[in-house]
Amino acid sequence: MNEQLEQIERRLRRQPLRQVPAEWREEILAAAVVGQPSPAARRSFLSTRDFQLSTIFWPHPVAWAGLAAVWIFIFAVDFSTRDRTPVIAANNLPPPAEVMAEVHLQQQLLVELLGPRETRDADRQRNFVPKPRSEHMEMANV
Amino acid sequence: MRREPELRRLYDEHAQPLYAFLLNFTRDESDTRDVLQEIFVKLARNPDLLDGIRDERAFLLRLAQNAAIDLIRRRGARERIRENLAAEIVSPFAPATDPDEQTFRDELARGLADLPADQRAVVHLKLWEGLTFEGIAAALEIPLNTAASRYRYGLDKLRARLRPLYEEVKKPSNE
Repeated sequence: MNEQLEQIERRLRRQPLRQVPAEWREEILAAAVVGQPSPAARRSFLSTRDFQLSTIFWPHPVAWAGLAAVWIFIFAVDFSTRDRTPVIAANNLPPPAEVMAEVHLQQQLLVELLGPRETRDADRQRNFVPKPRSEHMEMANV
Repeated sequence: MRREPELRRLYDEHAQPLYAFLLNFTRDESDTRDVLQEIFVKLARNPDLLDGIRDERAFLLRLAQNAAIDLIRRRGARERIRENLAAEIVSPFAPATDPDEQTFRDELARGLADLPADQRAVVHLKLWEGLTFEGIAAALEIPLNTAASRYRYGLDKLRARLRPLYEEVKKPSNE
């Protein structure tokens, strides 16, 4: 079996490959020197972008992949620990009317038990009377 | 921009193996030319691209394979179907003067064309570039075992396909 494989390997290795057309050398080198992309490369902007990106990423793909993984981990942690209080509050339904009525009754009962209460000075509304500004005060003094 | 003498050296050293590899991979001469030109434009535009690269050939083969895959993806399905209908196999082998040998090469070209692209790439690099499995694994960025198994599968298929011809044409090629 291995002998057969070795025989076919030897036979295949002997098959000569086609030679690169001689005229391509100057054409390709001239195009490369003037920086003219091949027709294939001109076909789309996206493919050109991918080709350029591969130039950057190819030499150290593992390093770039590791960096990407770290960022994904950071985003995942950030997303999972985000405060969702407003969302929970928004999802809560208003209390039913019976509960509201009960609360109102409790409040009334509390007021009756505590009796009338004097409002503190700080809580009283002040009557604000606009006073004359400085130059008007001087004129009034005069 | 890379200097012209350096580009010429790179072309003279690597264009032939890149051409053969790309022709075997794309099965299209104009696509092969496009990708080859794309590689050299890239080398010219990025003078530092090969800095720190131990094996230029392996790096360029990898670049070629990526560019060829990119090119094949860019083609629409319609174009691929049209090309398949044309069904003309572009042989990566030099023409032979002996008719039996030519028949063998044509059948080998068809057998290679029928292999999956990943197996074809490994078989090509092993048989006609003489790379070791370690070299192939490094060039194509695949595990060593994957390279070896792809080669084994590909070679088995080629052997099965070529066996009738191989039995018939016993004489070795002198070309």
